Amino acid sequence: MMRAPASTSDDTAEASGELVADGPTNVAHGIARRSMGVEMISMIAIPVLGLIVALVVGGVFIALIGENPVAVYVDVVDGVFFAPRGLSDTATAATPLLLIALGYSFAYQARVFTIGAEGQYVVAAAAGVGIVTASGVRDLPGPILIVVGLTTAACAGALWSGICGVLFNRFGASIVISSLMLVYIGQAVLQWATRVGIRDPESFVPLSRSVGAAELPNVPGINVHLGFVLAVAVVPVMTWVLARHRLGFRVRALGHNPEALDANDTPARKIIVAVLIVSGALAGVAGFVEIAGVNGKLNDAASVGYGFAAIIVALVGRLHPVGVLISALVIAALDIGFEVAARSSDLPTSMAGLVQVLVVVFVVAGDALLERRRSVT
Amino acid sequence: MSPVDGGGVVAVRMTGVGRRFGSTVALDGAELILRRGEIHAVLGANGAGKTTLMRVLAGLDRPDSGLVEICGDVVHTFDPGHARAMGVALVQQHFTLVPTLTASANLELARPEGRLRTRRGRAHQRLNELVERYGLPVRDGVPASAMSVGEQQRLELLRALDADAEVLVLDEPTAVLTDAEADQLLAVCRRLAEDGRAVAIITHRLGEVIAGCDRVTVLRDGSVVFADDAVADHDRAGLATAMIGSEATGRFEQRLRNDGVAAASTEVMTGTAMSLEVDALSSGRLRGISLRVADGEVVGIAGIDGNGQAELEAVLAGRVAPDSGRVIVGGNDIVGGDPQARRDAGVAYIPSDRYRHGLVRPMSLSDNLELGRLPRVRAPRRRRHSDAERSLNDWSVRSAGPGASAASLSGGNAQKLVLARELSGTPPVVVACYPTRGLDPGAAGTVAERLVSRAERGAAVLWIGAELDELFAVSDRIIVLAGGRITGEFTAPFDRREIGYAMTDHHRTHDGRLVLAP
Repeated sequence: MMRAPASTSDDTAEASGELVADGPTNVAHGIARRSMGVEMISMIAIPVLGLIVALVVGGVFIALIGENPVAVYVDVVDGVFFAPRGLSDTATAATPLLLIALGYSFAYQARVFTIGAEGQYVVAAAAGVGIVTASGVRDLPGPILIVVGLTTAACAGALWSGICGVLFNRFGASIVISSLMLVYIGQAVLQWATRVGIRDPESFVPLSRSVGAAELPNVPGINVHLGFVLAVAVVPVMTWVLARHRLGFRVRALGHNPEALDANDTPARKIIVAVLIVSGALAGVAGFVEIAGVNGKLNDAASVGYGFAAIIVALVGRLHPVGVLISALVIAALDIGFEVAARSSDLPTSMAGLVQVLVVVFVVAGDALLERRRSVT
Repeated sequence: MSPVDGGGVVAVRMTGVGRRFGSTVALDGAELILRRGEIHAVLGANGAGKTTLMRVLAGLDRPDSGLVEICGDVVHTFDPGHARAMGVALVQQHFTLVPTLTASANLELARPEGRLRTRRGRAHQRLNELVERYGLPVRDGVPASAMSVGEQQRLELLRALDADAEVLVLDEPTAVLTDAEADQLLAVCRRLAEDGRAVAIITHRLGEVIAGCDRVTVLRDGSVVFADDAVADHDRAGLATAMIGSEATGRFEQRLRNDGVAAASTEVMTGTAMSLEVDALSSGRLRGISLRVADGEVVGIAGIDGNGQAELEAVLAGRVAPDSGRVIVGGNDIVGGDPQARRDAGVAYIPSDRYRHGLVRPMSLSDNLELGRLPRVRAPRRRRHSDAERSLNDWSVRSAGPGASAASLSGGNAQKLVLARELSGTPPVVVACYPTRGLDPGAAGTVAERLVSRAERGAAVLWIGAELDELFAVSDRIIVLAGGRITGEFTAPFDRREIGYAMTDHHRTHDGRLVLAP
């Protein structure tokens, strides 16, 4: 047989490897750590700078309308931090954004670009409210009702989102497009549900029964409904999943090189569906939490655009769970703050939306600039 | 080399052409003479420099040294537009049509008339004129992607002829065609040559050369074995030998000689357990192949690229479920297109494209070492990194530590990383696809030695390779794939000439005759 006399080479490499392990690799670790530092800075600095620039440019617009930007921003800060319910309103407004954006960031890490949470949100809200207001179920004790409602909503959202995965795997349909199209179908489902399916027979307008005992209790001390705590609790769970669970690893591998995942680990199509199910379930939970925590009843105008605003939250939060938490709070604070400021001035309430969009523009621009500088050096 | 006597007017004369890419010598003093009215075959194994030579001629590449004359003019500027203006047209091996555009739109794109897009009727008329003039039927009105491969090829040809080419170069035009289509194409080439053009065809199929070409140039390792010889002076055997080479070269070969005596004892292997069995496997180009690899054996798969190796790799890796047939590892069927099933069966897979199928480049080395072998919940980072560090050291992967990204590794180190992952836990079966591709000799040697040592410890190793010398050095048996079939099986000591026949689609019948594979 014509073979290399190689039987010993493995052993020698083992032996010598242990001897030289320390010196050069430690230096190398240092280099790796330093470049990680740069990564961290860009991850934090760009959104912060983007927010500041957006506020400055937003100030110019405010001045153009004829208001004093400084006074308006003072009102905004007042409204969030010093008004009686400023902080708790902010947390309440942040809750659906946070849940949906966490789902989005999970999917976007896998480069699965779903934008259909709005549809999952309303379909799940209808399903969750439907089950907790159904006769026979609605008399169950509150905690059980809440769990039942949340579970149903999560399943409905996951199902609605999972359809995109099936369409993609079966027919190669773009997830961006199919998820968006399912938003409109979902909104139609909401119209049907509030008018026919789960309508309160006593009501003259399209409206469901009250969720009753399934209403989410306020958490003592922070005066926000339980949903907020739930949403914040997802942050460490998702951080852990991404860092330590097999699914998180697969999600990242899928995002970077689906073919390597396919060849070595597990078929990429399975992970695509898994990711869509996770993001859909979170959007579904957001739907139920918002109705059971804030409105109490589902009406035909429940589709208010959280599913789209959360795309901004996910991007500004750099697809990192902690970043998403911060950005959800900031984006919600802009909403609440401008709402308050609009009361004492002629500002349109859409000002908050303008600043939010400006934040995205400048964050994306910052990324592009950094990328260009990096490729030059 | 025969002088001008008996040949047509010289259209192209390339002499002493040299081209190197980094440390790789693609061409070393290559020569080529093309004459009007003749079809010239350019032969050579993979990497012999055929395509590079033709790219130089078409102005797609510039030579480091040497002289190129087209119709008597010395070429100074190597630029595709310039070459086209001088009458050279190249039909590349990989189609360059826009798949969503129709035939006439593709023509239009290649050579627009004026600045604005011409009206559809005008473009259609232009196509029809070409179709009639050259007798190459191509439909208009359907996107190129909906055409058969043969029709796409004809369109490529028309597009090349559209510029009134005097010198027509076809890079492996028949590789993707059926035999009937290939015959048609050769007939067209003959007609074009008779109109006074010089036609050059790069090919691997010896039958075509004998049947359809006037002259032949054979390249090996960037230099000419013989240039501008009349085909009539050669037979198949001579051409095959010239392509593949007959003498022993290189250090692997040296090893081969030394071990030649031991090779006789290989037969002992038969009778031991067959770890890897491929049974009547069909997938894409593969047409029902069966093979077995015993424990402790290295079986090399030889053949010219594109004869089914890629399909075999995809099925064995579990990336693709085959059309029919089975892959059996240790007695269990692992067909099903599931990488996890392949891994659970103990099959290590060294992909031919390590960056595409082997590694996730932006992820860390320790992450890459865990790809496909993760527990549900992963160990803390510190422990993962220390584990990774150990195997990086075992394989002497030069890196900036387990946290560095796989993208930061050089080719050789990236391959060692793949091996470190795949060969951990002593898998009983190893499928290695071009494992030394793109590596410098040192790294290639290490990789080869590590793989062979696995076989010595009892693993069944299937090695899909491109370089015969290397396969000779590492293999106990060599199986040749051609046209998606097994056209030969050889045991050491290997007969280079016989393997050459098999690679070029021939095989020997029981009574010793050499025939074309069915």
